[in-house]
Formats: sequence, C-alpha cells, structure tokens
Amino acid sequence: MIPLDELLVFSGLLFSIGIFGVLTRRNFIMLLISVEIIMNSAILNFVTFSAYSPSSSVAQAVSGQGIAVVLIGLAATEVALGLAIVLALNRIIGSVDVAKAMELRL
Amino acid sequence: MSYTIPTISPYTPEISLLVAVVLIFLLDVAGVKSRILLGGATSLFLLLAFLEVLADLGTWPLQGLSTLPSGYLGTLQGPVIFTSFGLIFQGIFLAVALIVGFASISDPDEEGAPTFYALLTLAAIGMLFVAVSADLILLLLSIEITGIATYALVGYTRRDRRALEAAMKFYIIGALSTAISFFGASLLYGAYGTTQLSAFSTLPANHELALMGFGMVAAGLAFKATLVPFHMWAVDVYDGAGPNVAGFLSGGSKKMGLFALFVVFVAAVRVFGAAEGYVLFLALGSLAVITMTLGNVLALEQKTMKRMLAYSSIAQAGYMLLGVAIDTPAALAGATLQITADVLMKTGAFVVVGAAASLGIGPLITDYKGLGHSRPGISASFAIMLLSLAGMPLTLGFVGKFYLFFAAVEAPGYFILLAIAGLLNSAISVFYYARILRLMYMPDDSKAPASDGHSLTHSTLGSATGPATPRWASLRSEITAVGTARWITIVSVAVLLVLFGIYPTTLVGAMNSAAQQFWTIGF
Repeated sequence: MIPLDELLVFSGLLFSIGIFGVLTRRNFIMLLISVEIIMNSAILNFVTFSAYSPSSSVAQAVSGQGIAVVLIGLAATEVALGLAIVLALNRIIGSVDVAKAMELRL
Repeated sequence: MSYTIPTISPYTPEISLLVAVVLIFLLDVAGVKSRILLGGATSLFLLLAFLEVLADLGTWPLQGLSTLPSGYLGTLQGPVIFTSFGLIFQGIFLAVALIVGFASISDPDEEGAPTFYALLTLAAIGMLFVAVSADLILLLLSIEITGIATYALVGYTRRDRRALEAAMKFYIIGALSTAISFFGASLLYGAYGTTQLSAFSTLPANHELALMGFGMVAAGLAFKATLVPFHMWAVDVYDGAGPNVAGFLSGGSKKMGLFALFVVFVAAVRVFGAAEGYVLFLALGSLAVITMTLGNVLALEQKTMKRMLAYSSIAQAGYMLLGVAIDTPAALAGATLQITADVLMKTGAFVVVGAAASLGIGPLITDYKGLGHSRPGISASFAIMLLSLAGMPLTLGFVGKFYLFFAAVEAPGYFILLAIAGLLNSAISVFYYARILRLMYMPDDSKAPASDGHSLTHSTLGSATGPATPRWASLRSEITAVGTARWITIVSVAVLLVLFGIYPTTLVGAMNSAAQQFWTIGF
C-alpha cells in the first residue's frame, strides 16, 4: 500500500499546480482546468483519508468515498455552467481571453 | 449509524419552492413568458415558504417571538438540524428572494423571464439548506447549489456584455473559493474522521491539520462573504449584474457566506481560541476592522451609485464579522440583527437603482440630483434606506449597530476597541450617504438648460409638472413610470425599516433567544 504521506504530498502538489494555474493563466478554459485540478486534489484527499481512516465505525470511514463521488458530480456541473458562460462570452467578444473582458474596471 | 426518517413538516418551505421551480419550467414549456404571471406565482410561493418558516418557528401569528418552542428544533436528523437560529436565517433568505422576485415583475419584459425566476427560486432552495445543515459537506454543497444558480443569474440574458463579464468573474472566483473550501473540508475530514459540524467543538489529535483545514474553509467562505483580502470581485460583479440581481447577491448570497462562517466557526473559534490564546480573536477582529475601514474609505471616492453601494456592502460585512470575532451570544444576536437590517436596506437600495434606471436616470451619483423633488415616493424611501445604512436612530440599521457595538463594549477583554473602530467607521460612512441625500434634496436649480440630455430631461419634466398638479397626480405618474410592483416593494421595505426601527423589541427578543440556543447547542 502507498504510504499516507506520499498521497498527501501528491494531492498537495495538485493543489499548488491548480492555484498556480489560476494565478498565471489568462485563458478561460485553462482557468477552468486549473479549478478542476484543485477540486480533484480535494477529492483525492477525501478518498485517501477514507482509506486510512482509523475509525472503527465503517459508515464514518466510508463516508469520505461517498463525498468523493458527490464532489465528482458537483465538479461536472460546475464545468458545464462554466463552458456555457464562456460560449456566450465568446460569441460577444470573440475571445476566451479573460484579459479581453475588462470593461468593468472603468 | 441509524437512519431516522424525518417528518415531512420541517421541509415544507423547500418542497414549496421545488414545486414552484417545476411549475415555472412547465409554464415555460407552455409558452408563458409574462413577468406578471411568472413573477406573481414565484412571489406567492416564496411568501408561502416564508410563512411556513414563521410557522416552523412557532411564531405564527407573529406573537411570542421571544419564546421559541423546542419540538423538532435542535434535534439532529441525518445531516440536517433545525435550530431557531437557522430558521431565522431561512426567513431572512426568503425575504431577500421575495423582495427581488416581486420587484422584478416590473422589469422590462424579455425572453429570459422564466429562466430568471427558476434560477432565483433554485438559489433560494440552496440557501434554505445552508441554514439547516449540520454537516460541513452538506453546507458547502448547498452553498454551491446557490452559487451555480447565481452565476447563471448574473449573466442569464446572454446578450449584455457587462453582465456576461460579471458572470465570468463571479464564476471563476466562486468555483475557486468552493474548491478551496472543499480542500479545507478534506483536511478537516482527515483530522476529525467525520464532517459533522458538532465534532468541531473538540480539539482533535492532529491539531495543525485541523487548523489548516479551518483556515482554508474560512478563506473559501470569506470570498462569498466579501471579507477584505477576498473582496475584489464583488464590486465588478455587482456593477455588471442587473440591479435586482446585484441586490440578491448582496442581500442573499453574501449573507449565506456569513451564516456559514458563523456556523462553522462559532464552536471552532472557541476551541482553538482556548488553545492558541488570543491570537485567533485578534486575527478575526482585525479582519473585521480592516474590512469595514477599507470598504468605507473606498466607498467615499466612488462616482457611480452601484459601485458605491457595493463598497458599502463590503463595509457592512465587516460589521457583521464582529459577530464571530466577539466571543459572546449577544454579539451573534447583534450581527443577526445587522444582517436583517442590511438585507432590507441594501437589497432595497439596489432595487431603487433599478427603478432609477427605468426612469432614465444615469448610473452616476450626480445623476440623482433633484430626484427628491421630481419623484417624492422613491426618493423618500431611498433616503430612509440610506439613513438606515448610515445607522441613524429610528431605523433598523441603528438597532443592529447598537446591539453589535453594545455587545463589544460588554464583552470582557479588549473588545471595546472593536466598538470604537465600528463607531469611527459609521462616522466615515455618514459622509457618502449624506452626500446623496444632499444631492437628492438640494434646492432645485435644474431650470438651467439640460446639458446631458437623457438624465436631466426627466428631472426637469418632473419639477415642471410638480408644483402645478396636485401631489397625488405626481405620485401616480411616478408609480406608472417605476412599475407598480417595484414601487410597492421599495416603499414597503422603507416602511419595514422604520417600523422595526421604532418597535425593535420582538425582533431583538427573537434574535437573542435564537443566538442563545445556537450558542448552547454548540454549532
């Protein structure tokens, strides 16, 4: 079995990659993917902690995996809406570049 | 784990709203696009849900608000718990949705009416579940249900470039904050082995992991609540969204974030506060002070009405954060009162901005010049809302601030400094609210030739007909110009602000006992 530490380091790395992507990318699709990577790191954490749960109660130990499934559904819903927004925006400003949508700063 | 099937009764508000959503979708398929019909039906269902929440509180017919029953209150049913504190917030959320839904009947008719009302109702359902969740995951999921509905609500017309840009910013920030919150929740799951909120009132074995988890959940929720390091998006989004939607975001979705902060942190702050000394309280207190100060100072220099209201909304979030920063139930009750007041005055103010736009008044603050003479009804209501925002006596805004600052003075330790900071901030905020009042009611010199066409023609027209015709005629023309539903909403919000400002006893009693109960249950 993979040690707990390595899994946590892996999900921490995923989280950092996601945050880095959100901070540096200017393409809306890339931003979406970065947010999804963060979400996936959270899901991975839930599964990890569930697998290594010291709790004697099975329901409590398994709940993390249930949460993971729910979160996968949530992530899919979010992306569907995000793509709808970016499609509508692309139709108007002809670009998926976040920097091009800066009218509100004025 | 044993499952008890909860009785249907506590869920009636949610079920009513679900019925409303299905009904709206069916009407949409049937080709009904009329705002009067759709908005009327939605408002009726929201009102029904609101009355059901009041009935759940045992306060129907509106008496004995200060003695709340036990009944199913406070008993855990799976991931859901009904506390009087949560039920009061359900009422608050439904009130926001009702104000926005009813006022939107007067919006110009367009294709999007069914979409708008369906999304509004869905967002309200999410908020109702936020108010009763006893599990961190259910809490965050409900927040995201509301979130997804509101991201779509901001850009639902799909044609307005500014609204779409606002929707995009709101979406990115919202999805990011949710993801960060869930990452924090996963760490808490690791530390505690469960996501039940009641578990967070103990110190876990892995102290640091839990603290990190709480920090991340807090950061995610602070985005929703527009606390200062995470406030940048709010102004752009409120500015780009339609005024009614902005009112819903500021009155509803932001209060939802604050409520979630209260629920997650009231127990946790006490536990970790005891472990870490005063550091945590210092951090929360200074966050509150920074939020209110920055919001107020930036509001001073705004030129457009919506951006000014957005910054003042950020400042209000600072006052409300005092509810967790000061470690007493009295402060929590004060914060709840302030939230109730803010829901009425801030949502009302955004509806007024929408009404002004329908009168052809521009977005700038100076465009409101002379409004008090030409449009007496909505100007008087707007004046009451602004006075309440500034915390003037005889309005609900004063009651909220009074109890909040009083709790800070009464609390042991150095919390009195927070009260002083809050009072200084209220003084700053009077400047920019008074500026609008002065503009609206200053002596009318608009007889001078109109320089910038559209915005001035209306005020000159109004003042020309004002003295000649009787007052009622000008009021009637105002109602038709603004739209009956919107006018009724604005005036009744103002009346409620004054009414509760003069007779706050029942409201204060209810908030106090709810906060006490919430305090003793522990989450």
